[in-house]
Amino acid sequence: MADLALEIRGITKRFAEHVAVRDLSLAVPKGAVYGLLGPNGAGKTTTIRMILNVIAPDSGSITLLGQPNTAPGLLDRLGYLPEERGLYKKMQVRRLLRFLAELKGVNAKTADARIDHWLERLSLRTAEKDWGNAKVDELSRGMQQKVQFIGTLLHDPDLVILDEPFSGLDPINAQALKDTVVELKHSGKTVVFSTHLMDNAERLCDSVCIIARGEKVLDGTVIGVKSEHNKRNIALALAGDPSPGVSAVLTDRSLVSRMDDNNRFFELEMATGGDPQLLLQRLVGAGAAVQRFELIQPSLHQIFLDKVGAAGVEEGMSGHG
Amino acid sequence: MAKLWTVIKREFLERVRTRWFLIVTVFGPVFFGVIMVLPAYLSVRGMKDVRVADIRIIDATGTGLGDRVATRLNGGPMGDAAATQVVVVAPTDVAAAESLATKDVMAKTRRGYLVLDSLTISAQKATYAGRNASSLNEVQIIESALRSAILGQRLEKEGLDPKRVEALTRVKVDMSAERITDKGRGGSGIGSAIFGFMIAFLLYMMIVLYGQNILRGVLEEKTTRVAEVIVSSVSTDVLLAGKVIGVGAVGLLQQAVWLASAAGLYQFRAKIFVALGMPAMPAIPLPQVPPMLIVALVLFFILGYALYAALFAAVGAMVSSQEDANQAAQPVVMLLVFSIIFAQPVMLNPTSRLAEIVSWIPFSAPVIMPMRMSAIQIPWYELVGSLSGVAVTAAICVWLSARIYRVGLLMYGKRPNMRELARWIRQS
Repeated sequence: MADLALEIRGITKRFAEHVAVRDLSLAVPKGAVYGLLGPNGAGKTTTIRMILNVIAPDSGSITLLGQPNTAPGLLDRLGYLPEERGLYKKMQVRRLLRFLAELKGVNAKTADARIDHWLERLSLRTAEKDWGNAKVDELSRGMQQKVQFIGTLLHDPDLVILDEPFSGLDPINAQALKDTVVELKHSGKTVVFSTHLMDNAERLCDSVCIIARGEKVLDGTVIGVKSEHNKRNIALALAGDPSPGVSAVLTDRSLVSRMDDNNRFFELEMATGGDPQLLLQRLVGAGAAVQRFELIQPSLHQIFLDKVGAAGVEEGMSGHG
Repeated sequence: MAKLWTVIKREFLERVRTRWFLIVTVFGPVFFGVIMVLPAYLSVRGMKDVRVADIRIIDATGTGLGDRVATRLNGGPMGDAAATQVVVVAPTDVAAAESLATKDVMAKTRRGYLVLDSLTISAQKATYAGRNASSLNEVQIIESALRSAILGQRLEKEGLDPKRVEALTRVKVDMSAERITDKGRGGSGIGSAIFGFMIAFLLYMMIVLYGQNILRGVLEEKTTRVAEVIVSSVSTDVLLAGKVIGVGAVGLLQQAVWLASAAGLYQFRAKIFVALGMPAMPAIPLPQVPPMLIVALVLFFILGYALYAALFAAVGAMVSSQEDANQAAQPVVMLLVFSIIFAQPVMLNPTSRLAEIVSWIPFSAPVIMPMRMSAIQIPWYELVGSLSGVAVTAAICVWLSARIYRVGLLMYGKRPNMRELARWIRQS
């Protein structure tokens, strides 16, 4: 299908000790921002490496921009930011970026113009100081992350794959990254990123796929996923701590099936057949000083916990999502 | 191909730009030059200081032998015989003269003294005592002057004209040594042995230095995680090939600079020696280097380098830390050390059975074979056989290493054991 930027069909990857990805299928439309969500060790990085043809799946197929992912020259149209960031430490920033661009088939002259543009845009090149002439190890961690991000986008890729892009970013860099992702989308590019931070995903993604233990748990548009899991959630905020009477109401399983204390408000999930009006009446009757009582859709975070739960995180797994 | 070129370019330029490369490349020849010139310079300086003639001869022979020795020590009848002091004493006064001479030597007015007595004439016995008695060179000069003086005296006794005697006993010998082996004359002996050993050592050095350099490069890409970015742009095979070729080119450049400056030093050695105020050194007889040898040399270097570079790259991909790397590289380093250990016995006897065997072993052939080739004529079948052995082994090593590299580059943690390694090779 020509309007898909990425299509994965039934891929499985086994390593010696375990199955990293099992029969995973997903489709990313062109121009979408797509989130690959899952706990650490779910198989996110393995999936991304298979998409990039760095490792081959044991079975299944991957189509990128309408071509099988093994097609020659296809990698030049992809931008990839790995989870574990790293650059040649002793190399001058400008030379390093030129090298990365040339590896993607951009000629040196075009690359130089783009490097200047990006360095300025991410304020690595100002009137006082041009960090492009510095060596990588003279840069702060945040600056190195910017350089790596520039390296991902220098060749103007059609499909950008970011593995845990927000991990380790300070708020300013995270904001710059978010802005860039949105801008990429507006210019018609497709962005796929993996994360275990649901808030980022909920704000940024058009569609998501949640995987755990190498298997797909659910996928779809964020709006679709949320309405599908609309269990009549309620955001409740009280003035002061709940009195024993109020607590009794909140733990009444005929009304509230689950409660998540978010400190500043509770996210309540109504029990089947439970009436929100009745809940409000009983809360007020128990003497609660209600500040907020709002019917809300469940957050992606809530859905994620529902679906994956604590058991979704395999013990002993770390890092390789 | 464009990407391969990009990788080669980076590997080459980033290394050539380092201060380390500049220092080793430029100062290497300077260092070699100093090593070459310094001993000659010092020995010439030393010769000037040697004032062998500055001794006292206590002559109790009563035959004027002391004067003859003095004349010879000072360079014949034309020399300044006064430099050497001759004291003619009666045989009974020798002891007193000796103790006086000892005091003078201790006071540094003389370097030493030579005692000649009746025993010198009858049994060719003499005694020398002096500050320089431990210098073989100086004692030999005195001894030879004495021998020549006694010979002259005897010849004159037999009725020869003293002038004839002088001419006849002054013989300067210049002996050159040439080597003969089972297969005949071994060419210009020492010259080609030195040349061969230099070639072997140079190849060994290049392979060790740049092989380890590749290991470090791979490890750097792994530990800094750059590898993951790179392999999302090019295949690991291209990355490996680019690295091996790029680093190899650095090695070739360095070798070229070294050889060129060595040739330059050799060419202008006369001027250099004159500039340092030394007599021109005799030419070291360089063996004739036939073009075929050069072709074979280059082939052995390229194949040998490829073989070891691939092995070092695989080691780099296998490990995740420098400590692990040192350990894992040991088998590869052992293979290299094994070749250089045999370099000396092979150089001493390039036709031996041992020499033939180690030229057939692909891991030592790249170092040993060029050395043997510059010393003796190798039968063509042996040469071709050894070369193809190295080529096939290099191809196998590159193939295996590329597979280990492909899997290992993105694997972190524990170093794989042999079984896991075998699985890596199978699965990639």
